[in-house]
Amino acid sequence: MDLLSNKWIINLLVCCFYLGKWFSSGAGCRHTLTCVRCNSVEKKIYVHLNYKIPCVRLLNATHQIGCQSSLSGNVGVLHVLESEENLDWVLRSGPNPPYMVILEYRLFTRSIMMKLKNGSGRVAGVAVVAPNTNPAAGFSPHNTCPNENTGVYTEKYDPTMAHCNVTVWNPLGNGLSYEEFDFPIFSLKDDNETQVIRQCYYDHNHVVNGSAPQYPLCAMQLYSHMSAVTDTATCMRRNDINFSLNPDMVCDPLGDFNVWASTRPINNTAKGHKNGESVVIAAARLDSRSFFFDIAPGAESGVSGFVTLLAAAHALRNVTQEAHLNRTILYTFFQGETFDYIGSSRMVYDMEKNQFAVDLDNVHSVLEIGQVGLRPNSTLWFHSDPVSRRNNSVNEEVCVENSRKLEIKTIFSATGLNVSVEEPGFSQPLPPSSFQRFLRARPIPGVVIEDHKSAFTNRFYESMYDNGEYLNISYPPNMTPEEQLEHITDTARVSKVSKAGPPLSTFYFFLSVTQMLYSFLVQSNNSWIQQLMTSDYANHLTDRPANLYVGVAVQQSEPTYLVQHLLANLTGSTVNATQDNCKNQRMDPDDKDSKHLYYYFWVQGAAPPNSTERQGFCVRSTVRLSKALSPAFDLHQYTSTDYSTWTESRWKPITGRIFLVASHDLEMLTLGVGIGILLTSLLLTYFFSSKAEILFSSGREPATATY
Amino acid sequence: MNLERLPNEEKLSLCRKYYLGGFAFLPFLWLVNVVWFFREAFVKPAYTEQLQIKTYVKRSALGVLLWVAVLTTWITIFQHFRAQWGEVGDYLSFTIPLGIP
Repeated sequence: MDLLSNKWIINLLVCCFYLGKWFSSGAGCRHTLTCVRCNSVEKKIYVHLNYKIPCVRLLNATHQIGCQSSLSGNVGVLHVLESEENLDWVLRSGPNPPYMVILEYRLFTRSIMMKLKNGSGRVAGVAVVAPNTNPAAGFSPHNTCPNENTGVYTEKYDPTMAHCNVTVWNPLGNGLSYEEFDFPIFSLKDDNETQVIRQCYYDHNHVVNGSAPQYPLCAMQLYSHMSAVTDTATCMRRNDINFSLNPDMVCDPLGDFNVWASTRPINNTAKGHKNGESVVIAAARLDSRSFFFDIAPGAESGVSGFVTLLAAAHALRNVTQEAHLNRTILYTFFQGETFDYIGSSRMVYDMEKNQFAVDLDNVHSVLEIGQVGLRPNSTLWFHSDPVSRRNNSVNEEVCVENSRKLEIKTIFSATGLNVSVEEPGFSQPLPPSSFQRFLRARPIPGVVIEDHKSAFTNRFYESMYDNGEYLNISYPPNMTPEEQLEHITDTARVSKVSKAGPPLSTFYFFLSVTQMLYSFLVQSNNSWIQQLMTSDYANHLTDRPANLYVGVAVQQSEPTYLVQHLLANLTGSTVNATQDNCKNQRMDPDDKDSKHLYYYFWVQGAAPPNSTERQGFCVRSTVRLSKALSPAFDLHQYTSTDYSTWTESRWKPITGRIFLVASHDLEMLTLGVGIGILLTSLLLTYFFSSKAEILFSSGREPATATY
Repeated sequence: MNLERLPNEEKLSLCRKYYLGGFAFLPFLWLVNVVWFFREAFVKPAYTEQLQIKTYVKRSALGVLLWVAVLTTWITIFQHFRAQWGEVGDYLSFTIPLGIP
């Protein structure tokens, strides 16, 4: 008897131990556990949300932004908000706070969100139902003055131009992305799942004639608990404290890799100044963001610019290989520019510290392609910096570049496009651009090409609606993915004309542009991209639009390796090297030097018509990656005002579920009855054990065991 | 061990050991001493060693109270001001809570 009870206790302890372990080690394990033990009960109670995109916490030198739930998730009674007036129910009159507010996208505005934010604990969380088609009105959750404090226009540089005094670049920006919310905010897709939620609301919680709904009520629980808090200095310090029992990391710096390539090979092993080298930097930015974590299509703000640059590099390949130009073009694609110019500030820093293949003395000028997702018959604007142009030599160079306008116009009209090229007024500062970081270091001549004269024409800057649909990437219905890939969209036709002069083999040019746009804005997993990728990366391709959020520095994001491989294929050449040599960065076993100049990719290639085996080949190019991690993290200056200090918090598993809750009284009654039963059983046990000799003494010998 | 079966001299020596041991920053020894010897010191009929035991128990109790006061004050101050102290607060912490300042 005793042995048996011991065994039970041990079993129980083991169970508890495992339970604790499962729970502490995350959702995956918890899930398996629930599946084994209490599958059916859990399924009967909860409906889990499949598609949910959270808003997460980011931190910089002074602030934290984004959202978070409590450790055990925020629970609230569902309320579908129908209009702004309806907020009163949530914030004041509703009898069952806290509420989980379901918002239509059109109500996801600053005024409503700020009222909810100040809702004094009556709001448990918000779920925004994203529309299937873009809204008609503009929406930008970003700032009105992007990267206000880390560009070149500081008080010291020119007080009249600081803080977007001259031009407010993003007038539609409502700044929601930079607010701090102490409840979770999720984005849901408008589909069956959302319909289930709505149905649950209308069945149980719907208010008729202002009378309070009856229990049970439909409730939702959202988990998005963030580990980091306060600011970057705090979380980086906590990362480094590792004498505690569970040395958890709490945040990671934002960052990735810049992609760059040169028209003439530059020795990348020997860093620092290169004698006699004069480079023109042709730049574009690779990243974007939105209010929610992993949905950042950035079609106009990112894709339009870097696809144009890729196309230009492609078109210039033959010219630069044949003609001997006296300057080298350095194609650079900067990552993390949205977050205070992470990529460009790092490259300038590396150039200053002789840690890059060239230094700032080698840089002749900068040409940057910004947002150029033109509508037909519009204008390209060449922006330049009025302050550095007060210097004569800089002004001359800028004028030379600007004087090419006429040539460019000719090229446009040669391809049947009516696009004019203009310069905005002399007094207007540069729009937010990577070039500003170069100007911060020294007055380098340069222009930034944009499709807007002053404020952005982009109505959805850094929002989830800045997508393929906004760029008019549309396909006739009933097209297979393969046909869509080959279909030359209007956008491709309009926006992409290279700066260079030679007659383009127009069809192939448009085709590669349309394929690039398809890969970034529709899905990267397509037959064209697969041919151009190395086999390791080909597995990572996805069936959805690329996410241009820069992410944390520990992993390479999708746009980086896509652009890296595309650039290699579009500017490099196929060489006759074996797979083994190619992967070891050499032409043949005796080749020791070319790895300093070139990078070799063994790409998958296409399969011949009657075979499934792909025929790979070796591509040699000058494409390289360079770190795009803010110098603040190498210098441990977490309160820096010069460099980006953005970090992303780590989090516990992000989940959401809906279920029915009983009234508080019923819950208390159940608990009371439970406790009552427990106490009664204890009393009974005591009674039995004290009267055991009387109760169980029917003719048996009393136990004689001694302990 | 059963105190009942112990001769009085050994009770005293045991009580003294616990009392002296407590000075090595081990307030729990004092607490045990108080709980364990309370009956011996104050309830049992008088015997020769009882006076000494009584002294030890009283002093142990005083020590425990002192420790409780000091620790309570410190813990209150620490919990209240940890977030404000910033860096110092973090370095003083053994486990840093996640997601709150």
